[in-house]
Amino acid sequence: MTPFLFYTLSFLALYGALNTIFRKNPITCAMHLALTMVALAGLFFNIGAYFIAGVQLVVYAGAVMVLFVMVVMLFDNKQTSETKDNKHMAVKVFISVFMLGILSGVIPHSTGFTNKIVAPEVTPTKSLATLLFSDYVLFFEWIGVLLMIVAVGVVLLSRSEDS
Amino acid sequence: MGEDIFSSVINTVKIVIIFLFMVHMVPLLVWVERRASAFMQNRFGPNRVGPFGLTQLLADLVKFIFKEDFASSKTNKFYFYLAPVLAIIPVALAFGSLPLSSPIYIDSFQLFGYSLGPYLFEIRSFPMDVGIIFVFGVSSLAVYSLLLAGWSSGSKFSLLGALRASAQAISYELALSLSLLGVLILFNTFSFDQIIEMQNQSLNFQFFSKEIKINFLPNWGIFYQPLGALLLFVALFAEANRLPFDLPEAEAELVAGYHTEYGGIKIIIFYMGEYGHMLVASSLMVILYFGGYNLYPLLNEEILQSWLLPNFSLTATSLLTSLILFLCFFLKVLFFLWVFIWVRWTLPRFRYDQLMDLGWKTLLPWSLFNAIATAVVIWLVNWGNA
Repeated sequence: MTPFLFYTLSFLALYGALNTIFRKNPITCAMHLALTMVALAGLFFNIGAYFIAGVQLVVYAGAVMVLFVMVVMLFDNKQTSETKDNKHMAVKVFISVFMLGILSGVIPHSTGFTNKIVAPEVTPTKSLATLLFSDYVLFFEWIGVLLMIVAVGVVLLSRSEDS
Repeated sequence: MGEDIFSSVINTVKIVIIFLFMVHMVPLLVWVERRASAFMQNRFGPNRVGPFGLTQLLADLVKFIFKEDFASSKTNKFYFYLAPVLAIIPVALAFGSLPLSSPIYIDSFQLFGYSLGPYLFEIRSFPMDVGIIFVFGVSSLAVYSLLLAGWSSGSKFSLLGALRASAQAISYELALSLSLLGVLILFNTFSFDQIIEMQNQSLNFQFFSKEIKINFLPNWGIFYQPLGALLLFVALFAEANRLPFDLPEAEAELVAGYHTEYGGIKIIIFYMGEYGHMLVASSLMVILYFGGYNLYPLLNEEILQSWLLPNFSLTATSLLTSLILFLCFFLKVLFFLWVFIWVRWTLPRFRYDQLMDLGWKTLLPWSLFNAIATAVVIWLVNWGNA
């Protein structure tokens, strides 16, 4: 892993993530989120997790974010970008602080990051696939079921009662 | 980049040449497209400027470059200028990772008193172990260009074109990835080099622990995956926004769709993106299903080397081999490019609901079936070996 690439891509990812939160124009936010996704894919490439990098590009940057952008484009931008939502400020602040507390509580228990990326003996994709379909097959299937429930739910909700 | 100055320079030049090759295919393809359409419709086509009208495109290019760089006041300037750039980057990245010919071996030699080499240069911009995943990853980003172009133009026609483009791209991406699964299961690798290497032998497979070998046929993917190849080709048509899938720019309904507001050099860059997509799609078809740069029984690296090596040095042999194999690859790619053009001037455009029906009700189930059937068949015929 080259340090230069790592720092460039990390900067891009953080820049995109911050802009996603702080920009007013929804399209700009969505594009910065897409930038974050692409930078993350680059980071995955950088550590040799090629399959995950490719999936990150195809699924998140190439499909999910495209849908986001498409939906945002359908809104009337002038209205959405000028509204300011100040309701329930106390609840929002409480939830944010709560989440921050959980995160900062977890960080000391992290095992830390090793600086060296060891070149794996087998192809990473193959070992990933083997793990997914042996040790983690139950979780893998559960996620599939979860996605299925979401899909069925969306179809059910988007249909009107009489049809 | 490389171990020393020499290999770094060669690699840089190589990247530039491969990019320029892709870009320079555009005027040629536009010329072929216009002449072919004229031929099919019993017209003349461009035939005044230069021999066979070949320099018509040069004249057009000069016109496009000197046109006023215009953006209407309703546009969002940043995204308006970003969109054409985003059209060409994914295509250039995808094309750069395709192996175009056999690697060139350069024996050690003396230059300005330094002894250099030996080197091995691959004919691609950068090596990529997971070729297929990388190509599909970066090509899936191309749809942002269409979306941003449509949205930032501030015009209803452009926006409608962009919406159609994104819906179409997402629908056909599923079929695209699933139709690939068959060939991935078959070759059991993501790497283009290994896929080409496996196709560089005579057709042979295990059939219930019996070895079947057909000597006069190459081991091409098309013989195992005819359905997968067809589905992939159709999905690639849709991804490249070519007729009959060019609803994002249907001129009868949307003026010119997402690039209605564009002109001058910006629209040329959109064209580069579109024709670059065709080039990548044709190259993918050749690499995955038609043996890449090898033409097994007649032409491959070993055969060429056995002809050339007695007469030339090692370096010259390698260079000539690479050149001949590149021409072989290029001819195969040209065939698929011709199919793209041929189909465009033969089939009428789909209606929007037909397009979605084809994507979701035909391509998707069939590609799922293809993937599952391939997996089951491979599992069955390898029954005795496991």
